[in-house]
Amino acid sequence: MIRSDNGYFGEFGGRFVPEILLPALTQLEDLFFQLRDEPSFWQEYLTLTQEYSGRPTPLTPLRRLSRQLGGAQIWLKREDLNHSGAHKINNVLGQGLLVQRMGKKRVIAETGAGQHGLATAIMAARLGLEATIYMGDEDIERQYSNVFWMRQLGADVVAVTTGSRTLKDALDEALRDWAASVETTHYVLGTVCGPAPFPEMVAYFQSVIGEEIRQQALQQMDRLPHAIVACVGGGSNAIGAFGAFLDDPEVELVGVEAGGRSLDEGQHSVRLLKGTGETGIAQGYKTLFLQNDDGQLGDTHSIAAGLDYVGVSPILAYLTQTGRVIPDSASDAEVLEAFSLLMKVEGIIPALESAHGLAGGFKRAKAMQPDQNLVINLSGRGDKDIFNIARAFPQAEWTGFLQREALRSKELLAETGGQ
Amino acid sequence: MFPKQYEALQVMSHAVVGFPNLDENEKAIAGLVKSGVKLIELQVPFSDPVADGHTLVNACHDALKHGGSVRATLALAEKVCAKHPEATFILMSYLNPLYRYGLQALFEKAASVGIEGLIIPDWPVEEIEPWLPTFDELGLSPILMVTPNTPLERIERIAKASRGMIYVVSRMGVTGHQTQWGEDFQSYLDRIRQYTDLPLAVGFGVRSADDLNALAGKTEVAAFCSKYIEWQRNDGSDVAAEKMEAMIGEVSA
Repeated sequence: MIRSDNGYFGEFGGRFVPEILLPALTQLEDLFFQLRDEPSFWQEYLTLTQEYSGRPTPLTPLRRLSRQLGGAQIWLKREDLNHSGAHKINNVLGQGLLVQRMGKKRVIAETGAGQHGLATAIMAARLGLEATIYMGDEDIERQYSNVFWMRQLGADVVAVTTGSRTLKDALDEALRDWAASVETTHYVLGTVCGPAPFPEMVAYFQSVIGEEIRQQALQQMDRLPHAIVACVGGGSNAIGAFGAFLDDPEVELVGVEAGGRSLDEGQHSVRLLKGTGETGIAQGYKTLFLQNDDGQLGDTHSIAAGLDYVGVSPILAYLTQTGRVIPDSASDAEVLEAFSLLMKVEGIIPALESAHGLAGGFKRAKAMQPDQNLVINLSGRGDKDIFNIARAFPQAEWTGFLQREALRSKELLAETGGQ
Repeated sequence: MFPKQYEALQVMSHAVVGFPNLDENEKAIAGLVKSGVKLIELQVPFSDPVADGHTLVNACHDALKHGGSVRATLALAEKVCAKHPEATFILMSYLNPLYRYGLQALFEKAASVGIEGLIIPDWPVEEIEPWLPTFDELGLSPILMVTPNTPLERIERIAKASRGMIYVVSRMGVTGHQTQWGEDFQSYLDRIRQYTDLPLAVGFGVRSADDLNALAGKTEVAAFCSKYIEWQRNDGSDVAAEKMEAMIGEVSA
């Protein structure tokens, strides 16, 4: 289990929040520390993920693609098969158990690609809680299908129009809401970032991914894998996949960040590679942030809204510093190529976020031997990306369909008056 | 100079450095001093000001487009501290811009140009305590925040680390919304006074002469900030200063 030293991982982490939020964080930490030491709590959590989200998710061998690439045997950890379509639901279901114990009736969340917002809306619907989801204006445009579903599920989705109008601004806005509502509201932070105890707590719930990989590898490969590769936005799917292997130095752990269009300022979301992120303190914690000389957080870009974030998990910042985790990046173009390859050769539609892990993993697998095994954490499925993929691979047929659908939708609205 | 305990109400107001622009900041500050404002926060604009409401968030983003920065704040402080020795200037900033500058160097520079106090909303008392000897040596007063949900033992700890005055966040939430000044508020002030002889500066929700009159006699300082920034944005700094002067004139002594 990943444990902090009083909220810190090496020099990273901590709890840098306005005074008003401290009592709630302390309360949450006390509850979490008490529950994580009770074996029955972990069992309760596992049962919930099994009954509601179909865990354990399979470890799928990519036989055809591995042969085609000619290197290591590639396996996918299928977090895309979770209910809601991504690993985000693991953390949310876990935090849902805490919300029930605290007796709070409202939850709030920030979301980038909308997967965490969707998972939170699903949990809130199931537990009968009120939910408000903060999402950057720009991300709403990029991931509208998730916004549609969150609203259908009964959540209030608030468009954040300040700053860069992406994930970091949604997180700021969620913190502002929480400062006013903290006594009745739980903030379901979606990743292994933010003030303590969130990084440690989210890592705990996501550790189910790595625990399963370990058992499945021993069964299916008869040994531990040589490498595990995961995409890194905030870092929750990566920490989840890596956690069970930190003490096995023979297992390479590789985090793939969003290389975007280039490594020029504002064109990527790479924070772990040298010369990119610098140590800073913002959004409640200390980590490597993309920032300028004045300490202003920078603009980011990624084809995948879920990786388009300015900071990174303090746990990953630390593990990269110690050399345990190897940082890598994949460009937008490499990601689209990996996306197509998986779809056409193995019949699996990945999320664009997860396709970063594929791009990094395929590259690595090619340089390895056929008797070696490499696991890529497929953190989410790609249905939500239909509009982005259509834009990346333009087709007249799709454009024609959208025009006809827009017309039908307009006519229907005129007929019903939006009722 | 910070006020003494139980002195008559003084008004603290605000400049976001770079909003609406750096030249205007100097003029606006002169206007505030002339209108009777005794304490002025110089806010370093930040890209992610999580304790602020929309008025100050938008002012921060505008300020960053017009040259606002830590260095610009120190340069402005050097000018206004020299020009207005009767006023007390306080550096207000989120932690990261200061951290990036280098905390030790920043505190030394701030003290040397005449800054008397520091308000850093995302720097909790546990992290501030190791710096207290530095602050005492430099004559810089860390002004920590207490909020309505702060437990007693934490109020005690915050009071012990604070210098100059304590910033009393009047209600839950962020800056820029109304507050009620009822019995609950009075007992909140009493709760804090058990642990300190420092004057109390009340902020969040101080938006009118009525609010100032409600606070007169209860507290030593009222922070009138977001509303002033709204005036600045809508009416310009000259009219904002006139409104400030008129409002301070309405406060019963």
